[in-house]
Amino acid sequence: MSFEPKIVGFLCNWCSYAGADLAGVSRMKCAPNVHIIRTMCSGGLSPFFILKALEAGADGVLVCGCSPGDCHYREGNYKAIRRISLLKKVLEQLGIERERVQLHWVCASCGEEFVNVVNKITAEIKELGPLQAGQKVVI
Amino acid sequence: MKILSPYKEATDVILEAGGEPLKLCYQCGLCTGICPWNLVRSFLVRRIMHEAQLGTTDFGSEDTWTCVTCRACVQRCPRGVEIIDVMRAIRRAVASLGIGVVPDALRISAKNIASVGNPLGEAPEKRDDWAKDLKVKTFASGTEILYFPCCIPSYDPDVKTVARSTAKIFNKLGIDYGLIGTEAKCCGESIRKAGYEDTFQSLAQNNINLFTSNGVKTVVVSSPHCYHTFKNEYPELGGKFEVIHITQYLASLIEQGKLKLSKEINKKVIYSDPCYLGRHNSVYDEPRKVLQSIPGLELIEFPDSREEALCCGGGGGRIWMDTPKGERFSDIRMEQAVAKGADIIALACPYCFLNYRDSLLSMGKAETMQVKDIAELVAEAI
Amino acid sequence: MEEPRIGVYVCHCGTNIAGTVDVEEVAKYAETLPHVVVSRHYPYTCSDPGQELIKNDIKELGVNRVVVASCSPRLHEKTFQGVLREAGLNPYLFQMANIREHCSWLHEPGPEVTEKAKRMVRAAVNRVSHHIPLEIRSVPIFPATLVIGGGIAGMQAAWEIANSNHMVYLVEREPSIGGHMAQFDKTFPTLDCAACILTPKMTEVARHPFIRILTYSEVVEISGYVGNFRVKIRRKPRYVDEGKCIGCLICQEKCPWTALSEFDAGTRKRKAIYTPFAQAVPNIPVIDTEHCAYFLKGTCRACEKFCDANAINFEQSELIFELDIGNIIIATGFDTFDAFSIPQYGYGRYPNVFTSLEFERLSSPTGPTEGHIILADGRQPDSVAIVHCVGSRDKNYHEYCSRVCCMHALKYSHLLKEKTNAQVYQMYIDMRCFGKGYEEFYDRIQSEGINFIRGKVAKVSDEAIAEEEKGKLIVLVEDTLLGNMLRVPVDMVILCIALEPRKDANEVAQLFHLGRSADGFFLERHPKLDPVATMSEGILIAGCCQGPKDIPDSVAQASAAAARALAMIARGKIEVPAITASIDETKCSGCKICNLLCPYNAIFFDDEAKISRINQVLCQGCGVCAAACPSGAITHNYFTAEEITAEIEGVLA
Repeated sequence: MSFEPKIVGFLCNWCSYAGADLAGVSRMKCAPNVHIIRTMCSGGLSPFFILKALEAGADGVLVCGCSPGDCHYREGNYKAIRRISLLKKVLEQLGIERERVQLHWVCASCGEEFVNVVNKITAEIKELGPLQAGQKVVI
Repeated sequence: MKILSPYKEATDVILEAGGEPLKLCYQCGLCTGICPWNLVRSFLVRRIMHEAQLGTTDFGSEDTWTCVTCRACVQRCPRGVEIIDVMRAIRRAVASLGIGVVPDALRISAKNIASVGNPLGEAPEKRDDWAKDLKVKTFASGTEILYFPCCIPSYDPDVKTVARSTAKIFNKLGIDYGLIGTEAKCCGESIRKAGYEDTFQSLAQNNINLFTSNGVKTVVVSSPHCYHTFKNEYPELGGKFEVIHITQYLASLIEQGKLKLSKEINKKVIYSDPCYLGRHNSVYDEPRKVLQSIPGLELIEFPDSREEALCCGGGGGRIWMDTPKGERFSDIRMEQAVAKGADIIALACPYCFLNYRDSLLSMGKAETMQVKDIAELVAEAI
Repeated sequence: MEEPRIGVYVCHCGTNIAGTVDVEEVAKYAETLPHVVVSRHYPYTCSDPGQELIKNDIKELGVNRVVVASCSPRLHEKTFQGVLREAGLNPYLFQMANIREHCSWLHEPGPEVTEKAKRMVRAAVNRVSHHIPLEIRSVPIFPATLVIGGGIAGMQAAWEIANSNHMVYLVEREPSIGGHMAQFDKTFPTLDCAACILTPKMTEVARHPFIRILTYSEVVEISGYVGNFRVKIRRKPRYVDEGKCIGCLICQEKCPWTALSEFDAGTRKRKAIYTPFAQAVPNIPVIDTEHCAYFLKGTCRACEKFCDANAINFEQSELIFELDIGNIIIATGFDTFDAFSIPQYGYGRYPNVFTSLEFERLSSPTGPTEGHIILADGRQPDSVAIVHCVGSRDKNYHEYCSRVCCMHALKYSHLLKEKTNAQVYQMYIDMRCFGKGYEEFYDRIQSEGINFIRGKVAKVSDEAIAEEEKGKLIVLVEDTLLGNMLRVPVDMVILCIALEPRKDANEVAQLFHLGRSADGFFLERHPKLDPVATMSEGILIAGCCQGPKDIPDSVAQASAAAARALAMIARGKIEVPAITASIDETKCSGCKICNLLCPYNAIFFDDEAKISRINQVLCQGCGVCAAACPSGAITHNYFTAEEITAEIEGVLA
């Protein structure tokens, strides 16, 4: 059986969760590998949770927020950019590929964009393969 | 009463070629309105699309072969219908599946291309004869540029001045270039549009293998048709090279200061945007830049220029077919050029060259008007 | 904390979920999860009997945590939280698993869809076992409403709310209220004169004791949250003292400097000191500093010289003030498509090609030609072509249909027949006459002998090829019904241009945190069931800023927005979600990292206790501070570390 990655998707309540809802309402279809967890803001997502997801068995993590300038809480998404860039650098040094953690902007009316993001990250993580035992993060 | 086409397989092929966008056509008729054919006769592009949607295409109709693939319709279609692809699919159904009859002139050119690699039926060994006395080397691995002149400048006795002028410019500037040799075949762009898909595939494979095995990285072409297919259609078949049209190449040489034009051409020159350079590939400025760099030259524009430019009538394989007098687009352009007081019509495409030359002669304008390729003008001004 | 006793309810949602997810299997699986005391599946959990089922289990079985696996929480979280409340449970002891929008609807059918649903339920069960009751706060709200935009929608909304004897501030960017409707001649389908039905409304709004109009003003800043907004307004200087001006218009008569009139869509000039139109409300002129000689080079001052009332004040400065607002209704309207973008139609190149808005002004008795339809050279047109879908229904410009153009095209046909002897041609793709009385109007206009040509115009040209085309504009179009290419020589061409979002819609959206739909108009909360609310509580939209629409629909939507605002005003208070963050004093090290992160300035440093504290009223619960705290001292209610970790583990196990 071919490798099916498990990806945890943290979606912000205001834009990206609504965008994912719209994709569902419009009956668009995408890969089932992303498991969605609601967060209030992409900037309110502690990097701890991203690491926790990788430790608990995720092969990749997707974080979605509102487009820059449109954050429901003003600038939370800018904080997400900074935090996640830094986190990816740290993960790289632990031997975890940068592409395993991705930050994407999905607006509330972007059902199609959400589907594209899900399919793309699923394909990319599939190609990278499962997160190796030696690479697992221990917190 | 019309019967839904008995040729289900053929109509499926057409619907597939048209794809999503064809399903979206809402029959507004803008394509018909903007199509240059309606300047000279009736050609209902819209109806052909609807027939394709419903599967009632009349394969035996002469209209199957009318489209010149100039892209005026696709450019403005409000639903993004790929009209040229639909036309091509209908032709493919006739040419490959054998429903209906291909016009003679086209059939002969297709046969020539398939057998000897050029539409004129000339011997392959003579492909580089135009360069015999010009000291042009053969391309070898490491040569910077491959110059690919196109079958028409290679073989046609009038049009070979285009290739010769280009070679003279390159020689004068000491450009490191070469010809790929007599194994080269027609690029295949137009024969593909005419529905001969298998012929195109074999031409493309031949050329891709030839270029790749000789280490070609950059190709400079004289014909926008070669430009279009090398750039947009060869890559998915494995041919990945940098493709530059001669006018782009000359413009960049001028910008870098490597090409200096010192001899004056004190004429009013009107430039005709080739469809495959302009509408198909958005190259409008470089040819104008080159012309404006010629001292003494006054550049004037056709009333419809750039995105609105009128096709010469040569695309889609129609260069090999006969267009009755009174229906020739290049005749209309000739009148426009005369009305604008032009001395020279400047061109950047060998098909345009053939059509405008024909118009010049058949309308008796040879005394007062000239038809020249940009390469020729640059060679005169260098 | 009490032992969690979880009730799991897996919804069929008819076949929406049950069609692809084996709901029975999921419910059975849920029974095996820790702390689950009952697990059921049910056709429509949000229905009355469905809700009763949950309430019963809470009462009879001592269920104290509820998981509903059904649709999106954005749809029914509040519904089920209401159920918990009615049963005496804290509404935050609840979690939804979105197995419809994010599962059964989103994936191709297959066994992995049921597997995924099981994961989502497990995650929800894990999470909810960590939920603790959260306090629900009520805060009082400001009863005043801010309406932004003084067009027909804005005025209607303001008037509706003001009639409840609650204060409304109506902010309008232009010098006068009235909006685009003031520019129209007659309105379809009744052919009412726009000014006749609009001006009484304008005066009513102006003199209403509970409406304060703020014209020539803009919103510059907004802070706070629903029911408690603080809005900063900038009142641009008119350079005319409103208290002294008597509206005699002599300043405009004497002013020697001109500019293109915005109100007349550029069809004529106005003065540098001007009132946009004769029935302007307020009828007080404004000095356009970009065209006034005094402001440009320090000369002239003719208006000041001739003003008997001494009302000109070049020293006037802008006024910035703040308002306490409970609800905001945005009714900023639309802009029109730039016809220059389609050069093939000759706009700007040929003098007798007009846009729809320009034609409205031509036809209007208060317009540049006093209502006479005349060409650039003063003649009446013998023939007119009306081109539909200019910039609309076109992937190259706007994909959407602008909704009103077919109707106003019919209207123009009528006006042309009434005022001239012209032959009228309509070049259309479809005739969209959907509203009340609209098809009947189409019927009526056809009976006036209008020529309908079905085809999208390819080009407008002035190159005549026959005698009858000389001096005319030739419209090239295929009559798709005849299957003939046509050349239609006409004297005048009217382009039905698209309605588009305002040029500054981006800035407005960012200021108010509005979403935008794919077409650029402001995003409503739900396309069918909630057309006036937005993602931001307390901020509503109405009129064309939400999407192109006609006057009846604008008025209806405005009244709907007003009703929504009034509901909150009537309650007088709102419940603020308990999703806030709080700082554990024992863990806070006083590093102050969180202080600067809060976009609402809700975190302050207690100098005495040397720790940071969060104002629970200002906090909006985004969690940015909690994510940043290096000591883990900040708890984000409803999104705690335990709760999210449990959810992550549940989804991956």
